[in-house]
Formats: sequence, C-alpha cells, structure tokens
Amino acid sequence: MTLPAVILYSLFYLYPTINNLRYSLTKWDGFGEPEFVGLNNFSRMLTDDTIFNKVLSNNIEFTFLVVIFQTAFSLLFAIFLLKNSRSATFLRTLYFFPTIISSVSVAMVWQFLYEPNLGPINVFLKSIGWDFLALNWLGSETVTLRAIAFTQVWFHVGQMMVVYIAGLQQIPAELYEAAEVDGATRWQQFKAVTWPMALPTTAVVMAYTTIQSFRAFDLVYSMTQGGPNNSSSILVTLIYLTAFNEFRFGYAATQSIFLVVFILAITALQRRILRTRY
Amino acid sequence: MKVSKSAKAFRLLIAGAFAASVTVLPISGGFAAGETLGAKCTTEGESTGTFSTSLVCAKNSAGRLVWTKVKLSASNLKPANALRAPRGSIEFWHWRAEDKAWFDKIIADFEALNPGVKISQVISNSGDYQATAIQKARTNKKAAVFATFRGAQFNTAATTDFYTDLSSDQFTKRNVIKSMMGAGQYNSKQLGIPYQSLFNNPIYNIAIFKKEGWKLPKKFSEWISYCKTAKAAGYTPMAWMGGFRPQAGQIINSALMNTASTDALLTSRIQALDTGKDPITTTWFKEMASKYAELRDAGCFPDNPKGVTEAAGNTLFATGKSPILPTGSFSMGGIVTLNKEMDGNMGITGMNWTDDVNARYTGITNNTFILGVNKNAGSTEQRIAKAFISYLLTGPVATYYANSSKQHVTVLDVSYTDANLRNTSSIMSERLVLAPRFIWLNQGVRDITEDALIAIVGGESVDKALADGAAAIKQRLG
Amino acid sequence: MFYKISRIFALTFLAVLIIIPVLVVVFGSFKTDLELMTKPLALPENWTLNNYRTLLDGGEIVTNFRNSSIVTLFSVLITLFISSLASFGIARVINVTGRVLFVLFSLGLAIPAATSIIGIYELFVRFNLTNTLHGLVVINVASTLPISIFILTAFFRQIPNELYESASIDGARPFRLYRSIALPLSKPSMAAVAIFLFVITWNDLLYPLLLITQADLKTLPLALLDYRGEYAINFSMIFTAVMVASVPMVVMYLSMQKTFVSGLTAGAVKG
Repeated sequence: MTLPAVILYSLFYLYPTINNLRYSLTKWDGFGEPEFVGLNNFSRMLTDDTIFNKVLSNNIEFTFLVVIFQTAFSLLFAIFLLKNSRSATFLRTLYFFPTIISSVSVAMVWQFLYEPNLGPINVFLKSIGWDFLALNWLGSETVTLRAIAFTQVWFHVGQMMVVYIAGLQQIPAELYEAAEVDGATRWQQFKAVTWPMALPTTAVVMAYTTIQSFRAFDLVYSMTQGGPNNSSSILVTLIYLTAFNEFRFGYAATQSIFLVVFILAITALQRRILRTRY
Repeated sequence: MKVSKSAKAFRLLIAGAFAASVTVLPISGGFAAGETLGAKCTTEGESTGTFSTSLVCAKNSAGRLVWTKVKLSASNLKPANALRAPRGSIEFWHWRAEDKAWFDKIIADFEALNPGVKISQVISNSGDYQATAIQKARTNKKAAVFATFRGAQFNTAATTDFYTDLSSDQFTKRNVIKSMMGAGQYNSKQLGIPYQSLFNNPIYNIAIFKKEGWKLPKKFSEWISYCKTAKAAGYTPMAWMGGFRPQAGQIINSALMNTASTDALLTSRIQALDTGKDPITTTWFKEMASKYAELRDAGCFPDNPKGVTEAAGNTLFATGKSPILPTGSFSMGGIVTLNKEMDGNMGITGMNWTDDVNARYTGITNNTFILGVNKNAGSTEQRIAKAFISYLLTGPVATYYANSSKQHVTVLDVSYTDANLRNTSSIMSERLVLAPRFIWLNQGVRDITEDALIAIVGGESVDKALADGAAAIKQRLG
Repeated sequence: MFYKISRIFALTFLAVLIIIPVLVVVFGSFKTDLELMTKPLALPENWTLNNYRTLLDGGEIVTNFRNSSIVTLFSVLITLFISSLASFGIARVINVTGRVLFVLFSLGLAIPAATSIIGIYELFVRFNLTNTLHGLVVINVASTLPISIFILTAFFRQIPNELYESASIDGARPFRLYRSIALPLSKPSMAAVAIFLFVITWNDLLYPLLLITQADLKTLPLALLDYRGEYAINFSMIFTAVMVASVPMVVMYLSMQKTFVSGLTAGAVKG
C-alpha cells in the first residue's frame, strides 16, 4: 500500500536530493557535460566565498527576526483574541487572510507599498513629517532584508495566531481563576500561567516558523531576487540563482548540501533545547 | 529565355557580391560579435533627398548614418518579401514589455497571412531576461524566435550554439542596413538580426526646458550647473532609476565614451575589466566613477536613488517632476503610454562627461534586439520563426513597429512619421559611438561593475564602492 | 486600562495593516496607472474596467488559470489518494518497516524543496518532463507526500484497533479495511489536508519557475511574475492580475473558513 508513495517520493524527492552529492563534485553549466573537480566546490564554499558567507549570515538574521517577531506577535494577538466574541471572530478571519494569498501576489503588493518615492508607506510617512523613517525599503543594503522579514511576518502571523489560540484554549480556566484569587496582575498571570502552559505550542510555532523562514524563496525571489548586492539573499535563493542565473550547477549543489546539513542541525538543536527545558 | 537566364545569372552575381560584403566583415580583436566602435559606414544607397526618412549610410554623409530617403543601388535587390510559414505555434521571446501591443498587432496580421500559425509573446523584464532567458529557452521547443541584447547575451547565445545561421537568407542580404548588422555576427556568420537602432542618451522634456529658459548642457560643468539650477527650481534633475540596473546603467555609456583617446584603447581597457585582468579600482575607471560622485553631490539624482524603480523613474519624468530621463530613445513609447500629453514633447540630447565641447564623441547609439532562431526549437517551429523574422524585416511592418514603439529600426525602406522620432533625429548630428557598455561579455562582471557605480550614487565613497566591487568581481571570476 | 488601550491599538493597527494593502490592490485595479502611481490610496476617480478588459483580451490569464486549475486538481487528488494509502499502511503496520518509512518521509518535512532543485531539473530534462503539466503534477505529488502522510498517519493511528479487528475477523483484506473503515472515518482530516494542499499547490512558484518556460503552460504565480515583466511600468495591470489570481481563493476562504483555518493550521502544527 505504501509502494506508490515510496516510489514517487524516492525517485523525485530523495534521489534528486542525494544526487546533490554527485553534482557537488563537478563543475557543470547545466547543459554540457559535468567536469569532475573533486572537493574544490566545498573548499571554496567554506573558505573563500564572501557572497556565501554574507548570504548565510543574512539567512541566520532573517530566520532569527522572523522567528522572534512572528512568535511574539502571534502569541500577543492570540491572547487578545482568545475569547470568542463576534469582533474577535471577525478579526481572526481578517488576520488569517494573508495566509491564503500566493507569495508572488504578496510580493507584488509589498513591492508597490515599499516603493521609496511614490509608494504609499513613504508618502504617508512624509505626509506626517517622519521623513527620517521614509527609508529605501527594498533598495538599501541595510534595510531590505528586514523589510522582507517584516512582510514575511505580516504574511504568516495570522496563521500562527490561530495555532496559538488552539493551544491557549486548552489551558484550564481554573488556573487563571486561582491566579486571580491570589490577586495576580495580568502580567503575573501571563508569566505564571499562560507562558508555561503554552510552551508546547510555542515549540510548534517556533519550529514551523523556522522551516517557513528557510522556505521564503517565493517571497525573496519575487521581491528582490536577493538584491541589492545579495543583501537580501537567503540560502534558497542563492542556490537557485547560482544554478540558473550563473549556470554553476555543481556549485549550487554544494550549497544545497550545506543547507540540508544546516537545517538538520538547527532542527536538532531546537529539539534539544526545547526538550531539556521542558 | 536566354535573356532572362543571363539576367538571373547577373542577379545571382550581385546577390553573391552583396552577401560577401555582408558576411565577410572583419572581426576585430577581442570582439565576439563582428563590430568595431565608431566604425564608419559604407555607402549602400543613393540619396534621393526627399521627404521620407530612412536611417542609412548614404553618399556624401562623410561616413555617418543620415536620415534620408534612399533608392537602393540595384533594382533587383529590392527588399525581399516575407516568407510563408507552415502551420504551428511558436513563442517570441523578448524583453520589450512596452512593445507588447504593437507586436500583438503585427502578430495578428502575420497570423492572418499564414493560416494555422499562432505566435505568443513571452516577455520578461530586461534584468531577468539577460540573466536567465537563454537557459530557459534551451529546453523549450516552442521558444523559436529569440531576441538577445548586444554584447554578453548575444555572445552567450553564439558561443553555446543557440542560434541558427541566417547568413544566407534573403532578408539578411537585402532588407537591412549593413553597417548595423555587426552586433549579430559571430565567426563571420549572421546569427541574429539586430532590429532596433537605439540612442542611449538622455530624453528631455521640451516644454520644461522652454518654460524655464534652460539651455541643454553641452559639457560636464554645464551638467553640474543644470542639476543645481533644476534642483533649486524644485525638480528632480534626472529621473535616474537606481533600483533597476538595466536602466540605471544606461548613462555608463556616455560616461565611458571619452575616457580613452582611441576606440581601440577604450575597447582593450573594458576587456581588461571584463576578464578581471584589471580591477575596477584602476585609475581611469576610478576617475570616471568619481564623476558619478560629482553628479551626486550636485543633486542630479532623485532622493533614495537606489530605490527608484523603472515605474517610479518613468512616472517622475512623465508627470513633469523631472525634466530629464537618463535612459534612451527606447523609453519614449512607455512614457507616452503613461501620459499622452508627453507625445511630441520629448527631445534627446547627448551627455558629454568631459569639459571639452569638441570631445571625440557626444552621443551614443546602439544596435540591439538581435532577432534569431533558437536551434533547440522543433524544425517546423524554426521555419515559422524564420518566416516571422522575415515579416518583421519588411518595410511596412518595420515602419509600423518603429512609429508605434517610437524607436528606430535597422530595416531599409522605413518611413519615420512619428513626431517623437523626428524630434530625436537631432541626435544624428552628434558624434555617435556604439554603446561601449556592451563590450563587456561577462554579464556577471558588468552587473557588479554597474552596482558599484549605483552604490556611489547611493552615497558610498568612490574608493569603498570600487574596492567592494573589485572584490566581488574577483570572487565571481575565481 | 493600559491593557485595554494597548489591545485596541494593536488590534486596529494590524487590521489597518491588512486592510490598506487590500484596498490599494482592489482600487488600483480600477485606476489608470498614472492615477495609481500618483494617488495610491485614493478611491478611483472613475471606476474603469479597462485593466480587466485588457487583461482578459490578452487571453493568457485564462490559459494560466486553466493550467493552475488542472495542476492543482490532479496534484491534490493524487496526493490524497497515494498518501492516505501509505499512511494507512504505516499506521497499521506498526513494525520496523512502518517506522523506517515514517522517518524517511519525515525527513522530507525538514528539508526545503529548494535543496533538490538541481537534481529535479536534471531528472526532468532527462525524462523530457520539463514543459509538461503532468510533470508538474508529479513533482507536486512527490513533494507534498511527506506532509500529507504525516498528518494522515497521525489520524489513522487514532482510530481504535477494535474497529479494524472486528472487520478483520470478517476476513476483510487491508485494502477493504482502508476503503470501508479508514476512509469514511477520515473525511474531516482528508478535507483539512485537501485544503492545505490546495493552497500550497495553487500558490506555488518554485516548481513552475524551475520546470515551465512555455507560455501556454504557465501557472498563475509564474504568470504573475511574467506580468511584472510585461507590464513593467504598469502596476495597475499587475494588481488586476493579482485580483484575478486571488479571487477564487478568497471566495473559497470566505465560504469555507473553518475548513481553511483548520486545514492550514493542521499543516503547520504537524509539519
């Protein structure tokens, strides 16, 4: 019964992934014959590639920003909308809405919003006199990655909020009642009840957000293609561009292997931290 | 019988001679394509000096292309008619989003003439197109008509055996302006037909210049003072699009054109940058780059220059917020689409980056949009493609395309009636050089180089921007 | 008091942050481009359908829409069928093979698809599957199997053994157990997975970008990128295309909110 799944998955998912090992030893332009170069690609990637280093640190920053903010805001809004009122239901629906839109559409819209001279964001900021904040959102090496991270959070915060609401609704009401009897403030209640009880959900949200941030290919590719000057590139876009814009398929395969190892390491690390602490 | 036979032989002889003159152009040193900067054209027609205009190399033009009605030298070498296409469907790949509507009309007419034929356009923006299109079209059996940019992209197509040879086709021999064909030649073969004759020089708003009583800047110091004046009057002096490299990089042509005393020297210098032999921190390039900083400091560029997209740059110019659009003649069509009132209100001017009004060159020209047939397409698709190219190269079709898209073409027998095109004809009195930006054959290196200049405009110091760029180029080539 | 004010402020802020972009797009699709560029937030001066007319006249978007529908429909159905079969197998065969398979599929969850694009591209070129819609379906199925199997296996494991045992005594073979017991019980889970698959397949960019270059085979997200090239200097057209590409999803979302939310959340939680 599992046979069709195993065959399809192995042939079109596992095999290409494992095949990276073979390509990573070659110099290959994608249409000619691959040329064997031994471990050259690896030594280059690990010792002498400033772009790769930059993109790796971008990716770490991007993941960090997205995980922190998306988790924090989804928890915050989940707490705000926990009770089932009419307005809460409406707002949940609204906040969840971006999740169903395609990344490409989201990218197009934000590209327009971020336009530095005529875009609504800067026009608005300038109109209230906040010119200093009217930045070059998608054209500056220091801001662009963060602007895309913001869009990514905007895009998915509603989805994670729903995950949190489901988690928070499992917390027994007696715990809050007991805290209230003790005269705990809202903040104390949060610290004593909500946060510890929601930890399993937090683990899920953080794990998924991490994976999601590594998958942000569609958004980055459609918004900036990693520019300017690779400042908004993350590993998945770098792999794509190395192969299909620079025609260096062998090197891209090497980068893919790095990414696989990197993600597995991060996932293992996250599990370990969450397991030891809770 | 006899007469016609000898006439036929005579025609063949002439055709042969003509073909030879087209295909046996000298291939200069390091150029991939058969072209030389500043090469003089050779007479290929007789001027009849009447109203209609066609851009050709006529007698008495001192080796320069001029606008004049031309009668071709031999009556039997009249432009060839379009070929017939077999049934089938193909794709036409290019980057001219602005021309979609005009090509749609041309395609509809072509489909009506050739029942059972269907052509669809596949358009991406010029940055993406240069980066990925060839690779994509290689596995696409329908991508039969494929346009390339002069320089790096054409070179990739030529060296990876992407195009079929069009040398022996009648349209190559009879329908086009010979001196403009170099950009599509490789190893003495005509692999593509450069269709557009462009002028990569700033476009200006005639009404604003008139209203403000400004004169067009003729040398670098005048550009600096123009920027200061225009800025003081509340304008964005140049609607430069730092957020879109393909257009932001247009002014590098003017910046480069007078940096060397000879064409050969300029060519070899750029080749040295292109191959990594010289870093972009090299003295002459640094001198040129520091002029970008001077323009920046004079307030020539928009606020947040690195974030100005093509849409925003065009809007700045089309709405009169900016009197100058520093791209080229090819932007005029898009401007008119954006704002009809700009129709007929655009002029063109060279951008002299030296302080010598008698500098060697005062303007840029370029032959690009090189149309060729994708070798990886199916054989029927290739035949349709060739027929479609032959159709584009007929006078009436090229006339329609030129006047609607507002750009000049390399096709003979074209009448330019559009007001904007006539206004831009003034550029022909400048001393024009073939756009040096396309001497770079490594797209990646050229991109990094242009990014360094964009960084300077964005506020980076010349030294830092060039050093960063040089390091990135080393990485890229290593 | 502080809590109440900050709550209202935060809720309003996020609501505005979502509503404004939506309005910009909706209004923008009815404006001329110059109007959009100069007055992005204003209502259209005269509501014009010109953008929609131009877009639909071009005809490509209809083709893209059709392609997206075909690819999504077949991908979702095939994935559901194959993955529910496999999940049932894994959940019922609680031995070494089941565990190994489960770990194998779980690997696919952690590793982003982008890491295998080189190999996939090469494989598809070799098998002549580039520029085919069935090729796209194949890769969609292969890449969404892990998540579907993950969710469905968890579900099938919850079905009490007794239900199966009583049937087994009647001599039912595994496939019959799957059809007559597991499937009917799993309807809500299957619906959730279906929605999840539907949304990611309909919106996917990576595989079409990698494998489709032929215009008449492009799906909507890929075509949207093209429209950006085609209407490079025309955001109102791009927004019109965004509208056309998103409307079916929005309508479905509004009419089946619960299933959508539970489906997409299940995908997230289990993934």
